Amino acid sequence: MSEPAVAVTGLTKVFPVPLQRRSIVAVRDLNLRVDAGQVYGLLGPNGSGKSTTLKIILGLVSPTRGKTEIFGHDSSRVASRESVGFLPESPYFYKYLTAAETLRFYGKLCGMRGERLSARIDELLELVRLTEARNRRLRGFSKGMLQRIGLAQALAHEPQLVILDEPTAGVDPAGSREIRDLILDLKQRGITVLLSSHLLEQVQEVCDRVGILANGVLVREGTMTELLAVQNQTEVVLEGARPELLTQIAALATNAGARVIDQRTPQTTLEQLFLEATERSGDASR
Amino acid sequence: MMRAVLVALAVLLLGAARLPLEHQVFACRRQLHLHAPDLDLGLREQIGQLAFVAALGGFRSLVADALFIQAHVAWERTEWSRVLLLFRQVTTLQPRGLLFWDMAAWHMAWNASSAAINDSAQPRLALRVKAQRKYFDLGKDFLERGIANNPDKPQLYEAMGRLYRDKYRDHARAAEFFDKTAEKRGAPSYARRFAAYELSYCVGREREAYQRLHELYSAGERERLPTLITRLKFVEEKLNIPIDQRIPESKG
Amino acid sequence: MKDSAHRALSFGRISALTANTLTELTRLKVFYVLLLFALLLIGSSAFMARLSFQQEFQVLKDISLGAMSIFTSLLAIVATARMLPQDLEDRTIYTILAKPVARFEYLVGKLAGVLLLLLISTLLMALLFAAVLFAREYAALAEVTRQMSSAPSEQLHDAVQAVRNATFNPDLLPGISIIYLKACLLASLTLFISTFATTNIFTIVVTVFVYFIGHIQGTAREFWLQQNGGTALSRIFLGVVALVFPDLQLFDFADDVVAGASIPFTLFANAAGLGCFYTVLYLLLSTAVFSGREL
Repeated sequence: MSEPAVAVTGLTKVFPVPLQRRSIVAVRDLNLRVDAGQVYGLLGPNGSGKSTTLKIILGLVSPTRGKTEIFGHDSSRVASRESVGFLPESPYFYKYLTAAETLRFYGKLCGMRGERLSARIDELLELVRLTEARNRRLRGFSKGMLQRIGLAQALAHEPQLVILDEPTAGVDPAGSREIRDLILDLKQRGITVLLSSHLLEQVQEVCDRVGILANGVLVREGTMTELLAVQNQTEVVLEGARPELLTQIAALATNAGARVIDQRTPQTTLEQLFLEATERSGDASR
Repeated sequence: MMRAVLVALAVLLLGAARLPLEHQVFACRRQLHLHAPDLDLGLREQIGQLAFVAALGGFRSLVADALFIQAHVAWERTEWSRVLLLFRQVTTLQPRGLLFWDMAAWHMAWNASSAAINDSAQPRLALRVKAQRKYFDLGKDFLERGIANNPDKPQLYEAMGRLYRDKYRDHARAAEFFDKTAEKRGAPSYARRFAAYELSYCVGREREAYQRLHELYSAGERERLPTLITRLKFVEEKLNIPIDQRIPESKG
Repeated sequence: MKDSAHRALSFGRISALTANTLTELTRLKVFYVLLLFALLLIGSSAFMARLSFQQEFQVLKDISLGAMSIFTSLLAIVATARMLPQDLEDRTIYTILAKPVARFEYLVGKLAGVLLLLLISTLLMALLFAAVLFAREYAALAEVTRQMSSAPSEQLHDAVQAVRNATFNPDLLPGISIIYLKACLLASLTLFISTFATTNIFTIVVTVFVYFIGHIQGTAREFWLQQNGGTALSRIFLGVVALVFPDLQLFDFADDVVAGASIPFTLFANAAGLGCFYTVLYLLLSTAVFSGREL
């Protein structure tokens, strides 16, 4: 499928501050492309414009400039949401509904009905492992269970794209592992996932591609391997090297015009990269 | 911002568009005496702030009922001036309430007036009679205003007929009002009879009374009530109707 | 991907929202209001024992219709005012509008839920009212028949007719319908205000304010239309009142119906038309505002 699942071009969003002359730029000239079948992670600190970007993609907020498309459909059109499922950050659902009633409600909003809907509800409850709780009111659900029912409702109409805003925020490690497994499961079925997070380890585990947002600007973007590779440097991993060998290598390097910077077990983490990237952009925008 | 201006503009334009219809409905209601009474500051002072606000908010009737019940209590305590005051407020708030006008007039012309004539605190008969007369007039006044507000309903005309008959003993006026009663939709069947009875007491109008009574008598067994027969015989006697043309003696 | 043509207006989606709103309101136990209504009716009959039957029926009808009007209006305002802020606060609105649901559909669905609730409440109150009135009529008829057992049949007939006239009158039904339509108008108005309000207290306060202004709008309008007197400033003020606010007094038929005034059908029809007009108007204005709102 050549058409991208999500295409964001030249997106800018300015929020005016009521009763004041200044305004806040939430997103600045953002270009983003999520290919079908990918798991894409949008990273950034609080207030970096992640949620705003997701809301614009979903048509909940209108862009000041630029445009966003879902499978080629403009986000401002209701029809574009036929093929997308959304799980907002720490969602609340109608507490007076049971798990099954909640899914029935959302299924109907997606135009499903009758046998097909009933079958789909069973399937979804099975998928998020809430079959046992199907007739319990959401009032008594734990955070993790709410997140799972949220995921189930996002998947109700078998969308080709699922957008998850901080899917693991506030969920305990076991719960967040379950959610991570579900995301991997979606990926296996060929469903595109766009998620935002600040829990980097999890992102590292599931995402194919990430973009880092800071102050509304996309400061880094690329596949996991590209991003985590340290440019212009080569890691040589040796086993059982003696100190003499290391000295020789250093000499060789100097002769060849290269330089050994460090000798250690090489490791970089997404976290480091993330902090580096966001700090640098913070300085620049000041 | 642009949107807010557009919405405000739409409110004003659509407001102008529906104005004629609202005005038309309003005019139609006014014509039918269905418009709300003018709630003025005088009334507010009388009924109090809260009741006034409730009346403004579309709950006139509830306020009127509450005052009506107060009037009922005042009557039980024979506080006549308070009964009068409360009924004025009640009828102002709900001018379509026939019952209120009727009750107000009844309290004045019947109850308050007889209290006045039997007032042991007033030794002079002339003053007692004057006070009684004043209450008759107050009763008449309520009925007149009630009729002006409800010109199509028979009840208040009938009440006015009774007032002239029983209190003023003005049989001509009484007959006139019973006739008016009978003309209205939903009038009781006795209105026409009552009018004829009253006419039979009017000196000089016996011929007219005779015709009306005889017409009723001929209408059938249903109309031949004891009073009708008595009054008919009375005018027959007065007009010297030939014996063979008179109605037969009743068996009883 | 599914490329089945997206229907701009789907009854299925709207009815899902409607049913959900109704469920929500029902589980909030708003129907307890009806219990209050029942208590009021029964309680008021007790102290009316001292009145004559005409008086009793008049007061009973006034109280019943007045209470219906108060309860439906309050229900309309309070139930509607909390809908949007609640969904926004709980972020449930994101999950709904992220589905292929147009904002217009969302508003229609929500409003229809409230209107349905109002309809059910009005019907239940009307039934209760009819039952009490019927019971009282039955008692009054028995009393009259007993007292007049020796009177001629014609007099008895008149007396029975008087009782019947004092209880049910044919205008009660359209009168109650107009009470319902007024509540619908208020619900729609509240929805409109809630689309730009920031808190639901604000919504309620503004709606109540509009409610009272609406009851004197007629006076302001007629004064304004007469084109005489007043300073320029006061004329502008009256004009704005006349144009912006609905005339709510035109919906107050209940008082006159109870008083026994006969109301021509065209007048009912006009008022009903105005009620529907305003309900739709405020719904459209709500959509206009809400579509531009950033969530």
